[in-house]
Amino acid sequence: MLVRALPSVLAAVIGGGVLWQATDGAQAFTSEAARRLDVVRAPRAVPAVQLEDMAGRQVPLLPQAGEVVLVEFIYTVCGDICQIAAADFAEIRDRLQARGLRVRLLSVSFDPVRDTPEQMAIYGDAHDADGAMWTVARPLQQDLPDLLELFDVTVIPDEWGGYQHNAAIHVITSDGRFSAVYDTDAVEAVLAYAGGGQP
Amino acid sequence: MSTASEPAAAGHAATEPSAAPQAGAVKLTMILSGAVFALMMVFGLIMRAAQGQWIELDPALFYQILTAHGAGMVGTAALSGAAILWYFSGRHVVLTAGIYWAFLGLFLLGVVLILGAIFVGGYGGAWTFLFPLPALSGGAWEAGAAAAFMLGYVSIGVGFLLYYLELGRQIHARYGSLARALGWNLILGREDKNPPPPTIVAAAAVTIFNSIGIILGAAVLVASLVHLLVPGFEVDALLAKNLIYFFGHVFINASIYMAVTAVYEILPEYTGRPWKSNRLFAIAWNAVLIFVMAVYWHHLLQDVVMPPWMLVVGQLVSYFSGIPLIAVTAFSTFLYVRGSKMTWDLASSLLVLSVAGWSVGSIPASIDGMISVNKVMHNTMWVPGHFHTYLLLGEVAMAFGFMAWLVRGKTISQMGGLDRAAFATYLAGAAGFVTVFLFSGAASIPRRWAVHYEEWLTHDRIGTLFSVLVVLGTLIFVLRFVARLGRSEG
Amino acid sequence: MRMICLALLAFAEAVALREAAVASPVQHVLVQMPLLVLAGFMAAWDLKIPRGWAVPLLLAALTVFLFWMLPRNVDWALSPAGETAKYITLPLLLGLPLRLSWPWLGPILRGFLKANALSMLGVLGFLYTHAPVRICNSYLVSAQHDLGFAFLYLAAALACLWAIPVLFGHPRRGPLGAAGCSRCGA
Repeated sequence: MLVRALPSVLAAVIGGGVLWQATDGAQAFTSEAARRLDVVRAPRAVPAVQLEDMAGRQVPLLPQAGEVVLVEFIYTVCGDICQIAAADFAEIRDRLQARGLRVRLLSVSFDPVRDTPEQMAIYGDAHDADGAMWTVARPLQQDLPDLLELFDVTVIPDEWGGYQHNAAIHVITSDGRFSAVYDTDAVEAVLAYAGGGQP
Repeated sequence: MSTASEPAAAGHAATEPSAAPQAGAVKLTMILSGAVFALMMVFGLIMRAAQGQWIELDPALFYQILTAHGAGMVGTAALSGAAILWYFSGRHVVLTAGIYWAFLGLFLLGVVLILGAIFVGGYGGAWTFLFPLPALSGGAWEAGAAAAFMLGYVSIGVGFLLYYLELGRQIHARYGSLARALGWNLILGREDKNPPPPTIVAAAAVTIFNSIGIILGAAVLVASLVHLLVPGFEVDALLAKNLIYFFGHVFINASIYMAVTAVYEILPEYTGRPWKSNRLFAIAWNAVLIFVMAVYWHHLLQDVVMPPWMLVVGQLVSYFSGIPLIAVTAFSTFLYVRGSKMTWDLASSLLVLSVAGWSVGSIPASIDGMISVNKVMHNTMWVPGHFHTYLLLGEVAMAFGFMAWLVRGKTISQMGGLDRAAFATYLAGAAGFVTVFLFSGAASIPRRWAVHYEEWLTHDRIGTLFSVLVVLGTLIFVLRFVARLGRSEG
Repeated sequence: MRMICLALLAFAEAVALREAAVASPVQHVLVQMPLLVLAGFMAAWDLKIPRGWAVPLLLAALTVFLFWMLPRNVDWALSPAGETAKYITLPLLLGLPLRLSWPWLGPILRGFLKANALSMLGVLGFLYTHAPVRICNSYLVSAQHDLGFAFLYLAAALACLWAIPVLFGHPRRGPLGAAGCSRCGA
């Protein structure tokens, strides 16, 4: 009896184990959840990429001198979620500024062909990103695929000539590692994380 | 999965009712049902006494008891109904014992999960687990408690699914198709040398509509579970409400439609006239099959966003759904009983009472099914009033009647003094109890309130007194059953 | 032999749908993946196994099924590694074991699996039509809704397909099934 049931029990245990592993212990069912979990467990080193900001200057993606960098991926003519996300981003900037924390905010365009510095400046104006603490910037076209892969951002064209993408706030800690992802409206959580990482 | 242990020699046992297979499993189920009925009635008594301010009860505990009472009563009604249907279907088809034990085991597992969720986890979101209430406890319970409650339902649902798969399979094997088992040959005037008996017609109808109910119920349960575990995943709340009420309505109705087979199979032993399927009977049961599934919209009459035609159908079917019941079962019972010199023992009295209580209970139900009335009455005591009428005086009376019949002994004799007293206590208690509910509803006293105003206390206290009588009557029925069970088997 | 050809045909059809699978989750989840399962199912058509293997193989098939139902793996199935895994596991670890174990499964277990399939398609339908978030990063929200409705339509179609023979009897059998007669001794 026991011997007959053994293969079934074994199959059930292996099957359960595979599914447990495949969902990171029943925690992540979507690729978005999986990416967030993975980044926290194993922060990823960010390469020294230079971006071009809305004034045409070169700005580094990596944190400089102990600061924390918050990155959002956007395209400037985005009609829906980026607009709301930008408002939340502005709130985060204001509150970080009030607390005097060393944090830099970057809205990085994944559409560098259309998003020229002029175009980015319009977006920056609209959302009160003045280029001091928060700026809008674009990577070189050749750096873009690697960046999207590093941050696990999937961009697909939508029906109206725009894009849909997994919008989020990506945190690069002062050691130059991409180490957390938050919802664009998780203002409190981002503040707590960015503030806690400060010396 | 156990599929063995088919009683190969049992054969077609229609001629020898006492040799019904799996009587032991059914008797065990009825002991459990009787005990849980009594316990849940005590819960009801506690709630009424707390509303009447005779005892102190923390409101959080009140809602836990309310949840336990609702889930426990619906579950036990379904369990006892299922046992009755299994027992009498076993007279016409050969059913596998292993499936019944699996059903009972899964049911008890579900009960453990539900009780744990309520009394350990503090879940108090009512038996209807209406989305998204289980996830919005306001700190009263953790998501895990709500999840355990729903997993308990899933376990019970899986048990019932196995039960109906076996029942449906054997009916299909014996009658070739469920349509024939539903009496379509009788309806269409085709010749059928072996027409399905009333029990099989009922079994086929319940198998169909309750399987559909369970499948949809499982879907909304799992979707709600996903929502509990991953709050980002949401379900459309109106869709969820539709599914929950479809499942809940069908499930509780199924309990009565299963238990009524006790009337079809037992009363002929008293009246001496066999209860046969005929064309009208088959038409009525096919109508029931449709009505049970189409009438649930009357639970959503206050949801103004529902399409109006659904609410209109809900009201119309509420009226019509009384007809097949009253025209066929109640009227036939009346005819059978009137012309015969039947012996009134506890079993026959309770069974006739159950048909009467069920029929009477459909009247306040139809009234509440009217859109204009429902807008005023739906959140009042009128609603527990109507469903207690056809459950307490209907389904539960059927179950107790069946239990009394199981231990009736060799000869049928008139009721003794104790039986007479128990019956009178139960009848008076139940009738008074539901009448108070209906009066309270007419007086606009809301339902599901843990704390009542001074003006309502008289209602609550009278109701409490009647519920003491119900509990007393029930205790006698159950203890009598257990005592006689030992005697007849010893 | 004919079945092997059909299996190859189904596999080729699935491979031909590569581009379509990227564009539309309906084509990916409800056309390409089922074709791959069908390929394995057909390939094992004439094979037989001893009874003792039925349950372990069924469990293996269920595991693989659940694995590919996870939204994150629908995304993964579009990456090169995931695509290879999909082409290998769906036929060999889902279609094949399902076909091998199916003849040994009792009617209750089959009915249970079918009822569960309907429930779970319903759950997927509710989730995909109403999720406020994108479940798969690789697909548009509108495509996600389409997939949700496709799940619901499929559930309705399967329910009819499975219920009609039970309700009205098998078309190629008399009103009184042979099994029913011998079993009940009527």
